[in-house]
Amino acid sequence: MSLLNNQTEIARAIEAAPLLSPVASQLLQISAKADHELKDIIDLVKCDSILTARLLKVVNSAAMGLRHQISSVEHAVNYLGERMVVSIAVAECTAELFSKPLDGYEGESGQLWKHELFTAIAARAVARHAKGDLPPDMAFTAGLLHDIGKAILSEFLQGTSRSVLADIVQGNTADYLTAEQSRLGLDHSIVGFELAKHWKLPEMLQQVIRHHHHPDQADSPSRVLAYAVHLGDILAMMSGNGTGSDSMQYHLKQDYTEYFNISKDELALLLLESTEEFNKVEASLAIAEEK
Amino acid sequence: MNTMVLGVGDLGACNSQDSEIKTYALGSCVAVILLDPKTRTVGMVHVALPESKINPAKVKERPGYFADTGIPILLQEMAKLGCQSQGKGLVVKLAGGAAIMDHNDTFNIGKRNLLAIKKILWGYSMGPRSEDVGGTFSRTVSVSVKTGEVILSSPGRPNWKI
Repeated sequence: MSLLNNQTEIARAIEAAPLLSPVASQLLQISAKADHELKDIIDLVKCDSILTARLLKVVNSAAMGLRHQISSVEHAVNYLGERMVVSIAVAECTAELFSKPLDGYEGESGQLWKHELFTAIAARAVARHAKGDLPPDMAFTAGLLHDIGKAILSEFLQGTSRSVLADIVQGNTADYLTAEQSRLGLDHSIVGFELAKHWKLPEMLQQVIRHHHHPDQADSPSRVLAYAVHLGDILAMMSGNGTGSDSMQYHLKQDYTEYFNISKDELALLLLESTEEFNKVEASLAIAEEK
Repeated sequence: MNTMVLGVGDLGACNSQDSEIKTYALGSCVAVILLDPKTRTVGMVHVALPESKINPAKVKERPGYFADTGIPILLQEMAKLGCQSQGKGLVVKLAGGAAIMDHNDTFNIGKRNLLAIKKILWGYSMGPRSEDVGGTFSRTVSVSVKTGEVILSSPGRPNWKI
């Protein structure tokens, strides 16, 4: 198939992708703003009975270890925190996209969602080391959908993993991103960006999805967030939560040091804490998915 | 075939001959594999970080998380199964310790893991007989207790042995 045909087919796949639910979309809008309050999240959750039921199920699950049952949305949101609420809402309405096996990357079903979740958690942890002010929950939200383009691109990359890796080893292509571009004329960050526009996600999320491998190219208001997600993405791959054949096949932008102070020991702690939180959140979300 | 699956920071030993020990997706983590040819006992620890001093509280819960606590406890677990071999009597194999492309020193936890592991092994007069470490790809490792064969896999690559 020619590059042009590929691009037309990919554009069709983006158009055909399932939409986010209105409540998930609004949660992302709110949590991507620096000046929002938890009350805004609570008010939104109250409008959605299914999400309310899910949150109550998670907060009262054995994994949370509460002594007393929580029955109000306010308490549940306060206890779980914004990031859990956003994760549950996004997981619910992106299940179709996230649950597909990533054949083009030789990744298994569910691997993409785990990668997104680990990245979000790690980006949030990285945000605490920012030289300037960077709200950690914003970094979490920015990380949660950063690789969504892979859900679309995967089927167009089927059967290419071995030749892509060989090209990288032989120095014919710089990394997995440029290999995607040379084969399809597009890469997963561009496809994710197009999907984010189609979903009308906040501009900040669009920028992070578009530039998470080259955060220096993000527009100025989103740049620090793009770096936080860039580092969160790398930590996810280091932890073993990649998406398949492309894992570790990207470059670290070493100028992250302009925006973050992270020592060797702090990075080790970041990895440890992110792994622990990931295990906890993943177990809680699995409870939410039980029908 | 029974499979003992080890998560991050887990360790385990086994002498049941119809079993294998497996750990998935080692990124910067390293699998330390110990084989005792005398008793046909196999042990593995999935090390995530070099030194336990960064979070001593974690040691109690999961000593295998760190090189300096994981290897001694793994040796104890093997001894519980009757493995008396020490030092050069044990065959050591290592896998993992990958890094992202263009990493700096801070992000090369894989290398720090490997250095810490080799230092601890050295203290026991042990060293790896074979290893598949470093690089920029993740590895899944399985060891057959019966044959001691260590098989590695990675998405997009044919399986290989060390």
